[in-house]
Amino acid sequence: MKRVLVIAAAEWRYWLRSRLVLGGALLIAALLMATTVLTTLRMQGETAERTQYQSKAETAFLSQPDRHPHRMVHYGHYVFRTPAPLALFDPGLDPVTGQSIFLEGHRQNTAMFAASGASADLDGLSLLSPAMVYQLFAPLLVILLGHGLVAREREAATLATLLAQGTPGRVVLAGKALALLSIMVVLLIPLGLGAGFAVLKGEQLLAAGALMIAYLLYLVIWGALALLASALIRNRAAVLATLATLWIALTLLLPAVAVSSAANTAPMAGKLEDDLAMLTELRKLGDGHNANDPAFAQLRADLLAKYGVQRVEDLPVNLRGVVAQFSETKLTAALNAYAKARMAAETRQAAALSVFGWVTPTLALSEASRAVSATDLAHHHRFLLEAENLRYAFVQSLNQIHAQKLAYADDIRRSGDPAAERRTRVDAANWQLLDRFRFQPDAAETRIKQARPQLLMLGVWSVLLMVAGFWLGGRLKP
Amino acid sequence: MSRNAKLQAEQLNVLRGGEEVLSGVSFDVASGEVYALLGGNGAGKSTTLAAFLGFLPVASGRVLVNGRDVGRDLIATRRAIAYLPEATALYEHLDARENLDYFLQLAGVVRVESDIEIALDRVSLAHEARGLQLRGYSKGMRQKVAIALAILRDTEILLLDEPTSGLDPTAIDEFHDLVRGLADVGKAILMVTHDVYGACQVADRIGLLRSGKLVAQFAAPAGGRIETETVHRAFSAKTNP
Repeated sequence: MKRVLVIAAAEWRYWLRSRLVLGGALLIAALLMATTVLTTLRMQGETAERTQYQSKAETAFLSQPDRHPHRMVHYGHYVFRTPAPLALFDPGLDPVTGQSIFLEGHRQNTAMFAASGASADLDGLSLLSPAMVYQLFAPLLVILLGHGLVAREREAATLATLLAQGTPGRVVLAGKALALLSIMVVLLIPLGLGAGFAVLKGEQLLAAGALMIAYLLYLVIWGALALLASALIRNRAAVLATLATLWIALTLLLPAVAVSSAANTAPMAGKLEDDLAMLTELRKLGDGHNANDPAFAQLRADLLAKYGVQRVEDLPVNLRGVVAQFSETKLTAALNAYAKARMAAETRQAAALSVFGWVTPTLALSEASRAVSATDLAHHHRFLLEAENLRYAFVQSLNQIHAQKLAYADDIRRSGDPAAERRTRVDAANWQLLDRFRFQPDAAETRIKQARPQLLMLGVWSVLLMVAGFWLGGRLKP
Repeated sequence: MSRNAKLQAEQLNVLRGGEEVLSGVSFDVASGEVYALLGGNGAGKSTTLAAFLGFLPVASGRVLVNGRDVGRDLIATRRAIAYLPEATALYEHLDARENLDYFLQLAGVVRVESDIEIALDRVSLAHEARGLQLRGYSKGMRQKVAIALAILRDTEILLLDEPTSGLDPTAIDEFHDLVRGLADVGKAILMVTHDVYGACQVADRIGLLRSGKLVAQFAAPAGGRIETETVHRAFSAKTNP
């Protein structure tokens, strides 16, 4: 073990005396720190902004004056997905899925994007998150530092001197690997700081720890690849070229191929296509604003029979409210069926994409990172479902008020009779039916469970490469 | 083979890329003896050293260090040997003391600072050069550091690969004196070189390698040196003597 430490320390001494290595390390470190600070500030701002908007939207809804309940159905309400604390490190799908939804009767609106804080954001540069820097650029630093670990010694013939001192090849590789591992630990400091900050903001320590382990495994994989290439290939330039090619393949090409392949393996209809089909189906359900729509004839007949009356004016409930309730139920069921089918298709496609984590650790890490940071597809789907539940609950509550508290006779005359119109206004105290909406990420255990396949992939990659390193160490020749 | 042999090659055959680079080579080196393996480029000299260090697999035959097969215990074999590669491969970004300290730590040899200074004195490396990075050293100065390492390792066996190539005549003489001195205190020294004159000056025995075969051996008479002319003639001959 002492020799391993001696070799690792010697490698550090070499790095510290090499300006190129030091320059590269400082560049990546600066990039990591800068993106961590900027993304933290941005996500902090987003969190504060969305929380504030959420409160404002609730206050605006609750402070509406006495109104006709159906006007409140269309007045609607906004919900915002406040970012999870770890989103400051990995915003994940947050910038591409939308973070707010306008909830109203008879429709499920798609998630919208918060307004851009600055026009500079529009060029997409603000999307360079610390997670992305770790996933794409940290391996470059590992390659820069790792490619020469053995090849440099072989070219300078110092490997022969090293081995000739009776140092086993495995000890040489272990020492080099330890040096590289220590660099990785240093590289993880910005992530550690970000994760620590997230914990202060309410994140669970378990999630922060899992995120750090995932990134450490990822860097270990790159370190092992660099060390293996350096030990296997005799020429340092060839080692660098090989690793650069590998970097392009694993971080850029294969993930792109994986996305195309997943889209082919698990195809799904476009949103526009879906929306048109859905609209056609919804039209068949009738217009909930029109109680005389033939689509509700059966409902009307059933109601009259149930209450033993001949005219709708004699019903103890407001037919318009009942129709609105009925229509909303049918319409929501149809909308939910489409939404569920779409989510299922998206989940299938995501699962097809996940398999490629066995091929490229970058993909495995990005998925694990999003899952643990609560910025993945599953959380987006849950946000949509929770928003829809809230929408349905308050719309139906308003419809129920409409059905029970408003007289049908007043309701049909209200546009031409000011007195009837006044009587159809219900007390503003009724708007308290709105539940507060605060989107919360899953518990850390659930998120880690979600990320388990990807963590397993990263673990298997690491173990296989370490076994290869152990095997190669026993055969290391100058 | 006998005589307290520290290094032994027995019918050694080594292949490289399917080609036979050593064929049936047999010789031994005893304690207190300097054995020079002489040959032109590609004769198989460095390959022979690589076989003793276990850097190359042996196709057939045996290489023994301290009577033990090299392949059986590679690490123990290497610990018993001080090796000076041709390029005096040391770290350019380290100074002489740092190089020595590093390799001694890896060899598991405990030496205090004063031991290192004494060894550097012994190889006559200038004091003012000792704290400078090796990138500014001449070949001769590097060679001195490498020899200091061999001295500090204090192994019974030394393998020297073209140790005098690139050295000026004075440095070569100093080096030969040093090698002789080490042999006189009982070290077994195997030196490969293409310098006929140098080999005759320092070696007790000379083996002539040609195309991977040991074609002749010469021994110094008691109290004398191997005759340069005889060896030179054999070395220059187109056919085996």
